[in-house]
Amino acid sequence: MLTRLKTQVPLFSMNSYTKLREKLKLSGLSLASTHSHVIRLGRHSRHNSKMAVCIAVIAKENYPLFIRSVPVQNELKFHYTVHTSLDVVEEKISAVGKAMADQRELYLGLLYPTEDYKVYGYVTNSKVKFVIVVDSSNTSLRDNEIRSMFRKLHNSFTDVMCNPFYNPGDTIQSKAFDSIVSAMMVQAS
Amino acid sequence: MSVPDYMQCAEDHQTVLVVVQPVGIVPEDQFFRIYKRIASVAQVSIRDSQRNLYIRYRHHYLPENNEWGDFQTHRKVVGLISVTTCGSAKEWPQTLDRFHSQKEVFGATLYDSRLLVFGLQGEIAEQQRTDVAFYSSYEDCPNVEKRVEDFVESIFIVLESKRLDRATDKSGDKIPLLCVPFEKKDFVGLDTDSRHYKKRCQGRMRKHVGDLCLQAGMLQDALVHYHMAVELLRSVNDFLWLGAALEGLCSASVIFHYPGGTAGKASGRKPSLAQGQGQAADAGKRHRPGALTANGISADTSSEIGRAKNCLGPEDIIEKYKEAISYYGKYKNAGVIELEACVKAVRVLAIQKRAMEASEFLQNAVYINLGQLSEEEKIQRYSILSELYHLIGFHRKSAFFKRVAAMQCVAPTIPEPGWRACYKLLLETLPGYSLSLDPKDFSKGSHCGWAAVQMRLLHELVYASRRMGNPGLSVRHLSFLLQTMLDFLSDQEKKEVTQSLENYTSKCPGGMEVLTLPDGLKLPPVAFTKLPIIRSVKLLDLPVSLRPHKQKGLLENNMSTKSPFIYSPIIMHTRGEERNKKIEFQWVQGEVCEVQLMVYNPMPFELRVEHMGLLTSGVEFEALPAALSLPAESGLYPVTLVGVPRTAGNITVNGYHTSVFGVTSDCLLEGLPSVLTSGCVVEVIPSLPRLQLSTSLPRMTRNLCPGELSSSVSVQLFNGETQHLTITLENIGSEDLETLEVASKTCNTKEKLFGEFLSWDLDEAVSQLPLKPGQSVTLTVNIKVRLDFSGGENLLQDLNDDGISVTGLPISSPLRQVLKPRAETKPLGSESSKTDYNHVKTLEAVMTFKYSGGAGKVEGYYRDLTLGVHVDIEPSVFFTRVSTLPATRTRQCHLLLDVFNSTEHELTVSANNNQDLVLHASECQRMAIQVDKFDFDTLPQPDQEALRYTNPKLLEEERLHAQASMINSTLAHPSVRRQGEASVEGVLNQLVLEHLQLAPLQWDVVVNGKPCDCDIIADCRVGDAVPLEVKLTNRSKNAVGPFALTVVPFQDYQNGVQNYALQDAVTFIGSNTFYIDTVKPTENSVCMGALLFLYTGDFYLNIKFQDDSAGQGKELPPSWFGLPSVHIKALEAPIEAGA
Repeated sequence: MLTRLKTQVPLFSMNSYTKLREKLKLSGLSLASTHSHVIRLGRHSRHNSKMAVCIAVIAKENYPLFIRSVPVQNELKFHYTVHTSLDVVEEKISAVGKAMADQRELYLGLLYPTEDYKVYGYVTNSKVKFVIVVDSSNTSLRDNEIRSMFRKLHNSFTDVMCNPFYNPGDTIQSKAFDSIVSAMMVQAS
Repeated sequence: MSVPDYMQCAEDHQTVLVVVQPVGIVPEDQFFRIYKRIASVAQVSIRDSQRNLYIRYRHHYLPENNEWGDFQTHRKVVGLISVTTCGSAKEWPQTLDRFHSQKEVFGATLYDSRLLVFGLQGEIAEQQRTDVAFYSSYEDCPNVEKRVEDFVESIFIVLESKRLDRATDKSGDKIPLLCVPFEKKDFVGLDTDSRHYKKRCQGRMRKHVGDLCLQAGMLQDALVHYHMAVELLRSVNDFLWLGAALEGLCSASVIFHYPGGTAGKASGRKPSLAQGQGQAADAGKRHRPGALTANGISADTSSEIGRAKNCLGPEDIIEKYKEAISYYGKYKNAGVIELEACVKAVRVLAIQKRAMEASEFLQNAVYINLGQLSEEEKIQRYSILSELYHLIGFHRKSAFFKRVAAMQCVAPTIPEPGWRACYKLLLETLPGYSLSLDPKDFSKGSHCGWAAVQMRLLHELVYASRRMGNPGLSVRHLSFLLQTMLDFLSDQEKKEVTQSLENYTSKCPGGMEVLTLPDGLKLPPVAFTKLPIIRSVKLLDLPVSLRPHKQKGLLENNMSTKSPFIYSPIIMHTRGEERNKKIEFQWVQGEVCEVQLMVYNPMPFELRVEHMGLLTSGVEFEALPAALSLPAESGLYPVTLVGVPRTAGNITVNGYHTSVFGVTSDCLLEGLPSVLTSGCVVEVIPSLPRLQLSTSLPRMTRNLCPGELSSSVSVQLFNGETQHLTITLENIGSEDLETLEVASKTCNTKEKLFGEFLSWDLDEAVSQLPLKPGQSVTLTVNIKVRLDFSGGENLLQDLNDDGISVTGLPISSPLRQVLKPRAETKPLGSESSKTDYNHVKTLEAVMTFKYSGGAGKVEGYYRDLTLGVHVDIEPSVFFTRVSTLPATRTRQCHLLLDVFNSTEHELTVSANNNQDLVLHASECQRMAIQVDKFDFDTLPQPDQEALRYTNPKLLEEERLHAQASMINSTLAHPSVRRQGEASVEGVLNQLVLEHLQLAPLQWDVVVNGKPCDCDIIADCRVGDAVPLEVKLTNRSKNAVGPFALTVVPFQDYQNGVQNYALQDAVTFIGSNTFYIDTVKPTENSVCMGALLFLYTGDFYLNIKFQDDSAGQGKELPPSWFGLPSVHIKALEAPIEAGA
């Protein structure tokens, strides 16, 4: 039984992975291109180790699939921040949605600035939302870098979805995804 | 100016501010009633123009804010209405003084004022004043509105004159510099003659005139003035006033574009405005009179064009607002103005449905620092932010700020925390977090919303309600939290929540009633359907013995077939229907019914569920609650809930009731889609009597027979033994037992069983019916075990060597071999064969007691009580071999049986009248039984195979009475006698049967008038003629014969020598040969002859026969010619005769 499972897993995941690839291509986002982005970002990020303070993935139905923030002790604050940012996300989607739903840009840009943070949003075609909260003091971070962070996040999320053992709608518990997110977060020091 | 008016909106710029205040002691409720009536006059149409004057009423206004009246005239208090109570004329002067002193507060800006005096009795000495009105009471003041209208008109007159005054004041020597309070010191010592200064004065005045025009209802003029002011002020970089001018421009444009107003429902003033004047009803493109139409001529097209030109477009309004706000932002002291401008802009954007931009304005408003705010102001500010966010559709943000406001209500710095207000505000945040307090919304499908924040909110609600001193609410909220957020609570949190829940419920137990809050919000009850989680609900049938059965005939009548098909593979029903599906079996009124639930405990600790009972409908039902304790994170756990239906009918199990952590819940199954059930509707039939069965034999726990049995007994018997079983049936129900039927069925009959296994006589028991509750009846059942007594092949061979031929048939020979009982015991061949005989066989039967009575009987129901009878049969004796020997009489024969005692005890065997035969353990002896031959013809015999079974009655005679006397080997017990019957039925093979059969040809030999047989000695006298008669009766089916019979006399010397040479001793009278003609079936033929004995002695007559019917080609079996040999004793003739 176990051996049979082992042989089946890669087959199945490969299959769904290629399917997703096709989907992504349709949406104008090629995996290859995002990969190159990621590589460039990796080089770049060595200079800028400080990046996001909170990263969240929110399901289509607006409940969190994943949320991680750097000051762990005050996680609830970020829950509120991300939760309220959904208002803006919805507003932006509905505003754009009317015009050209097909060629909508996934990156939503700055959702709103707060005193301490800037909140950025990104919506996949399946209406899964990514939110990245960045420290306001971090002025070195430019829009382009935020974009590539989202793409990287999207790639990793796609990998999670490709896992045949992952039920869409469940909270994400993937080490690979975790490590990607961790790489984007501020170092503990 | 530090207190912002968050309710402001753009159209407030066209209103004039009137303060309504109480003077002296005025009851608050009375004041507000008057205030409301005054405030209803919010729009007054000025009589001789088409202009409208809009009035904003305030009952509280800071004089500090009034100082900004020059900056924006709608902030200026221009009217004062004082409300006072004055009981008597004496108090009047004092009241008037108070009124005057109040007037002085706003004195600088007031255009006019009024005093409304209530409750004055009597006359006032003073002369009539226009600004004072007297009313006898607060209730009786019909013309308040009219007075207010007059008052407004007087204000208008002043306003209009001021406007005209300022607007035409261009030629005047010097335009005064208008300034805001904080500016005053900046302009000290400034060169008032500079062009810059003059321009500033001009610009500010223009703006002021614009304000006045707007207030006076001259929108077009206002726009023109504002435009001019903007240009003037921009050139002199007077940013604060430039901002004000821009805002004025925006306000005027908004008023033009959105005549419906921008405040929406948030401000309660609009409805009163709408009803203030009938014309306000046309809320659409209301015709606004401009300055050019001030003389009463309606607007012409040119004015429309001009207005459109001056008026800002919707986009421009926002741009200008942004600009204005950015200018205000330059001044720290203008924070309130900036904030209010933001709020106004947001309202405009909300109408334009531009939420994103609105949120930017709001975001800006959040950052405006107004210095030290009181806690109350903070709450107000957060609330208004929440409201505005709600207005633009940002419900989450709105909820966030509302929650912040709620938290502010109970901030630690506040000496008296407003828990009630906090709770109320928290409730208002619920929709923003997509949380409803109805647990039904959560039962469908997956969880919706952001669990982490929802949980937080619920915790806060719990805490707030507790601090409010309403533990009932806390319990309800906490229950809700536990029920809906269970999946998201960590183990630790689960423990904490349940602990606090238990704490609360110790004071105020939670129930299923709907809690209604003072503001009308209803909190639906929370049922703990997840504590424990129910997986399936299964209604259980009654125990077998209590199950009701429908009488067959009635069942068919009641069959309601929905489909014309008897069976269809297509099952058309959904899950919901399944739930309502009626279950096949029935429950009985008054009997305990069971429902099995599969439950499990999702909590990481032991869960105590108390008062768990069933919720039913349809029938009066007495639920018997149970308490259970489920171990931590238990697996599926069966729980049986019981209850007693008290009436008959259809009962529906709707759900169950629990009490967990002090919270009672009624969990309805219809709200639990995940629960599996095979139907919840069951018919309850009227009550039936109930029988309890007890027997004289020991009970057996295990059931061997297939099917369910109420009880069963087990007994061990020797083969052939009979046992009496006494069954006592007691009516332990509440109904009379009216009918009783008994039937039995033998199961697993691999063994050949002879005779009736179970027999009983029911008549006596039936005669005692009806049986009242508590009474009992007994029934005796005979258990007879008759299995095959025939032995196996092994033993047959064993005894085969005794030289007795079975097949050799010495038919007519008088030779008999006397059987000598074999004393010696034959040792058995091997161990295996021994075990073969010791094998214990079992017999099982089920006795069924059908009984009924009471109301259930009327409905055609009965109950079954079954009793399993299990008998272990130990072998007793075996007939290992059977053979026959002809007896001395032709009508009889000897049955030879080799009897083997397979028991470990000595036993006595007796058959018919024979002597007892004592058999030791494992001994085999032969016994001979003399039996009469019998006639098969009297019985119908279709074939030989059936014979064995069809003639048990005849064979009854041959039954051996095997008397087994068993001596118990133990020391303590006296010997126990047991006896039984052994049957040879199964032993007799065909060959033996043939011998036992009477020959179809019956020969009767009559000597001397006496019938003769082998062992009968016929006496006769020498010299007398002895008549000999041979009679043949044909009982076969075919005609037999003709035969020839020859009578041969001989003498037997008893030493093996037979003397046939008796020609001189016996003589025949007539022929010694008889001829018998063909004898037809059932007929007979008689031949007569006579003998004459010449000497005395014992003579034998051997009747030889010769078959003359050889031509028929069929040989009759020799046994048919079993003619008896005749023994005649010739005696001496009497002396007297012989002489």
